Amino acid sequence: MPSVLAVLTIMISLDQVSFGYGGRETLAGLSADIPAGSFHFLTGPSGAGKTTLLKMLYLEHLPQDGRLSLLGLDPAGLGQREITRLRRRIGVVFQDFRLLDHLSVAENIALPLRVAGKRPEDHAADVSDLLNWVGLTHRMDALPPQISAGEKQRAAIARAVINAPDLILADEPTGNVDPEMGNRILRLLIELNRLGKTVVVATHDMRLIRAAKGAVQARILRLTQGQLMLGGSEL
Amino acid sequence: MALAWLRRDGPPIVPNRGWAALLTGVTAAAMGFLAVLSLAAGIAAGRLAQTWQAELAEVATVSITAERTALDPLIDRAVEVLRTTPGIALVKVLSAEEHAALLEPWLGEAARIEDLPAPWLIEVELDGAGPDIPALQARLDASAPGARYDDHQAWRGPLADAADALETLAITATGLVVLAAAGMIGLAAQATLAGNAEVVRVVRLIGAEERYILHAFITRIALRGLIGGGIGALAGAGALALLPETGEAASAGLSLAPGPGATLALVAAVPLGTMAVAILASWLAIRAELRRMP
Repeated sequence: MPSVLAVLTIMISLDQVSFGYGGRETLAGLSADIPAGSFHFLTGPSGAGKTTLLKMLYLEHLPQDGRLSLLGLDPAGLGQREITRLRRRIGVVFQDFRLLDHLSVAENIALPLRVAGKRPEDHAADVSDLLNWVGLTHRMDALPPQISAGEKQRAAIARAVINAPDLILADEPTGNVDPEMGNRILRLLIELNRLGKTVVVATHDMRLIRAAKGAVQARILRLTQGQLMLGGSEL
Repeated sequence: MALAWLRRDGPPIVPNRGWAALLTGVTAAAMGFLAVLSLAAGIAAGRLAQTWQAELAEVATVSITAERTALDPLIDRAVEVLRTTPGIALVKVLSAEEHAALLEPWLGEAARIEDLPAPWLIEVELDGAGPDIPALQARLDASAPGARYDDHQAWRGPLADAADALETLAITATGLVVLAAAGMIGLAAQATLAGNAEVVRVVRLIGAEERYILHAFITRIALRGLIGGGIGALAGAGALALLPETGEAASAGLSLAPGPGATLALVAAVPLGTMAVAILASWLAIRAELRRMP
């Protein structure tokens, strides 16, 4: 039985977690602990299960076997409302951005506030600061189809952190941007980690991992054929 | 203000697009139109039944069949019996001209009651529950043989039954219109949700509760139900106004239009009804879909 302190300092705990689609096992008996405030790269070839694992971590899927603990809570024992509350403590950056095309950049960034029942006008300064932080103040009124992939990804990062989440999950955040923009996005994620956020970045981009060397104390989780082959090796 | 976009409610999270949005409005309009017509028919049938019941319940007729030469004394004796019977307020012997007016639609202007083997009529206005009919008929038989009391029940009953059946039919038709509209709007709501599956997935993942998503969709669908229903109800009221006048028959409760007050009430109430149907149908459909989503 882990101590209370250990539970509080472990942000994500996987204990023999398995998941599959249509009878085919994608993740098989994964076990790992991710401490609070850490920075992890989740790597592996395409089809290894990185996105599936991230979907489990942002609660789009629940484990079919084993036990998952997120922020000290077991999602399998939570009702829909508690799952929603837990999701609000997790910021997600999707590879395909998933911005709502009919809302402006600023409206997209403020969306988590709205869905959480907060009044966006009470957080105007936060939105303004975030727009400035990701360098999109001049594009705040633009619609997603009118901006570049790099700008979309930075808007997605701002949206992921507007609710001050404890955990930030990024799925191939540099997959659709050029190397220079990739470095800029990496710097944003590293900055968030320095602010105390736990960051997990799923990527198969080794250039990105090399670029992080020296800038952040990160660890690597390597997924191969549904197995964590290299659990938490140092960068 | 630079951040004017941060207005209180913010822009809708559900984009206003797609054929499903149009289908909801068109279905609500069709429902509004048909509901006004069927409810108007129900109101007209109800009024007809009420009018006939009331008017016919207040009057009765005594018909006297006899040779023309023997008729006057029989009429006098029958009138005497009627005037002394409790439950009868007024007794009026129809004149030859009034008999001619009754026969004119069938026999023409030249018809003369005196020349025909037709019974002579005495009109009776009733008081309260009316007379004790068997006792009255017995007294008439004794004093004025050939006099027959008719409370119109023989044809009043079937007519009132027919009007009641018409009213039931109209209410049933309204119910079917509501059910059909609910089904269509429910399907349109499901299609709206399917067309916005990505929006729903995103807002769920960033922390939207089920009721937030329901509210976001249903407010749009309810508005379409209200506006569509309003347009349909106005069109229905217009169609009622275009119905041909029934002239004198209107005074007998035979008008097909429900009257200005009732029409106005229908135009006000039907859009609220279509909105309520849209809310309920879309709530059920979207909630079921959301529960199926991860």
